[in-house]
Amino acid sequence: MAKEMIAMLLAGGQGSRLYALTEKLAKPAVPFGGKYRIIDFPLSNCVNSGIDTVGILTQYQPLELNEYIGNGQPWDLDRLYGGVHVLPPYQKAHGSDWYKGTANAIYQNISFIERYDPKYVIILSGDQICKQDYSDFLKFHKEKNAEFSVAVMEVPWEEAPRFGLMVADENDKITEFQEKPKNPKSNLASMGIYIFNWDILKQYLEEDEADPNSENDFGNNIIPNLLRDHRQMYAYHFNGYWKDVGTIASLWEANMEVLDPEHSGINLFDENWKIYSRNAGMTGHKINPGAVVENSMITDGCRIKGTVKHSILFGGVKVEAGAVVEDAVLMGGTTVKAGAVVKHCIVAENVTVCENAVVGSMPSGDENGVATVGSGVTIGENAVVGPNAMVRNNVEGGEEQW
Amino acid sequence: MVKSNTSVVGIIFPNSYDALVPELVSVRLMASIPFASRYRIIDFILSSMTHSGIDNISVVVNKNYHSLMDHLGSGREWDLIRKNGGLRIFPPFAEKEVGGPYVGRASALANLLDFLRDQKEKYVIMSDTNVVVNFDFSAMLQNHIDSGADMTIAYNEQEIPEELLNYPTNDKIFYYTFDVEDGRLKKVYINPKTDGVQKMSMNIFVVDRELLIDIVNDAYIQGRSFFMRDVIMPQLGKLNVQAYKYTDYVARISGMKSYFEENMKLLDDYNLDALFSAAPIYTKIRGDNPTHYKDGAKVQNVMMADGCVIEGEVENSVIFRGVKIGKGATVKNCILMQDTVVEAGANVEYLITDKNVTISAGKEMKGTDTFPVYIEKFKVV
Repeated sequence: MAKEMIAMLLAGGQGSRLYALTEKLAKPAVPFGGKYRIIDFPLSNCVNSGIDTVGILTQYQPLELNEYIGNGQPWDLDRLYGGVHVLPPYQKAHGSDWYKGTANAIYQNISFIERYDPKYVIILSGDQICKQDYSDFLKFHKEKNAEFSVAVMEVPWEEAPRFGLMVADENDKITEFQEKPKNPKSNLASMGIYIFNWDILKQYLEEDEADPNSENDFGNNIIPNLLRDHRQMYAYHFNGYWKDVGTIASLWEANMEVLDPEHSGINLFDENWKIYSRNAGMTGHKINPGAVVENSMITDGCRIKGTVKHSILFGGVKVEAGAVVEDAVLMGGTTVKAGAVVKHCIVAENVTVCENAVVGSMPSGDENGVATVGSGVTIGENAVVGPNAMVRNNVEGGEEQW
Repeated sequence: MVKSNTSVVGIIFPNSYDALVPELVSVRLMASIPFASRYRIIDFILSSMTHSGIDNISVVVNKNYHSLMDHLGSGREWDLIRKNGGLRIFPPFAEKEVGGPYVGRASALANLLDFLRDQKEKYVIMSDTNVVVNFDFSAMLQNHIDSGADMTIAYNEQEIPEELLNYPTNDKIFYYTFDVEDGRLKKVYINPKTDGVQKMSMNIFVVDRELLIDIVNDAYIQGRSFFMRDVIMPQLGKLNVQAYKYTDYVARISGMKSYFEENMKLLDDYNLDALFSAAPIYTKIRGDNPTHYKDGAKVQNVMMADGCVIEGEVENSVIFRGVKIGKGATVKNCILMQDTVVEAGANVEYLITDKNVTISAGKEMKGTDTFPVYIEKFKVV
């Protein structure tokens, strides 16, 4: 039985610019928004769009991601035919290869895709925060009689040189592709989300694989080859919330935007477009006498005795009496002890910030760094972690790290 | 540690003591009463059984069990989707002479005789759902095996709740206290009015399956309905029935007042840890987002689940999933069940709202600590 469209989710990224957070964790598994991980967004989008077959291409530090995905039940992706499958590189009769590039990752899984005999394949990225209806994207693709479509966002012209840009005519037909150009001819940035007709994709993957000089990358190789051959290529305009959370600053910012859905456009309280996640199974959170909580998101297992302002707290975070947390993202199981001050920062899972320690500081003047503390770290009593610090190892009591 | 306890069948009676909380069970049963901000009472016994390695569990429902079926689903959340065993719901059997909704535990079990004969497990553990516990059934089973008992019944030491003392005894509500000698159950008192701390039965039984089949079969033939009164008490001399003293946290729901108090007690971290620290309690997952405290929210001493949006003031309250509290509203000493909406400027105190209740803007409603006001499901006030 053929599936109309299946999804292939590129989740192999190392996320090197998030390195204190991604040392032992693939980027799509990075926690986001109080109880989610980044990958919950594309997975939930798939299910909400009626896609029930998803291949997740992993390569870097897959353990926690594999465990998190499990059988796919939290996303309703435990299916008899289809469902979610984690696809790491594997050994073949004639040697084995790591995924050499995004296109090669799909190429190595052609046999997986063919099991479902799909008419279309959507290629998704596992490192973006985005609520998107892929069925609307597919409708566009069909209406245009396209062979390839790419989702694009309009970006401010001055920022356009940072992106891969699609130049399109008045019918949204793509005429040119510019990768990070100095002189942009378009402000339509590729979101790295593509729909292909499967027969076309397969043909170009095989051609690309045969080219020894190819980087096996969608942006650098496959899309230019499609253009060369004047394929039916269209740009699908998306104007919802979309954020590439590839840097500490953008990850922090996206978390803060969750607190202001009216202005940011990222509303997690959308009954019609739920984002699903694996549940940690903790009790309801507690706000104890003496605590102050202002404009924050707090979830199961948290115990708040101190002050929490404009922050995102994940499951099981403890803030002791006299501690102050402001503009901060505190991931699961982290404890902020009495008198500690934690501001304008991202603190990963299971961190202990000991008594009277200081992590990060509010922006002043040109100084607006987001301090980052890696998972499992202990910040000793009276220690100071400066606003630009990226802490991966324990900081002894009284020490300073900038 | 290998905990698989394949030698035990679990049986749960979710309707026991329904009559004590008539308001709360008008649309449900004891087992599915919401408790502690995100649970239903049955979650505690089910999770305890799962953690004790019991994965063949039957829930013997009697009436009003729609909400329970909805809550339990296929049992996935308690890890009870198993090839062998897993979760089973037994609706009332209408064809036998004892058919229809059962009256007592013995008649309920009589409907299960064929099932019990088919099982391979050596032991049966039975429980009601009016006690909220994080119970280690393995320890109780070990005690049962070590003592060589025919049956073991758990009790805890507490005063008899006022609500039980004042309950009109002509209704078929029975509570029991024990006389115990060297661990052996010597005497059972039915509905005693004694002051002071008593050994109160928790109605949690460990019994050999073969023996249970025999005594239930006898009771069935003789037309006896009540397990403790008609089956165990007359045989205390003949059977070796051990009393197992349970010393961990027990929240016993005996009426609206104790329901209110037992929820409120969990605002004390000491009690919360005592109930929850032993092993996680599982429940049905709704997929709510985290709770959002917006500007203007003021919160003191609350336990709250996910999915809430708080813009007003909340104090000394237990708040369930998806509750919305509007700007300028004040909520004090309340239990607000799932999806309750307290609109802007409303002012409520000592209220228990059932699911999907709306308190309209500006409305004022107050109960007292001894008599919290209860508002039924879907009501708009």
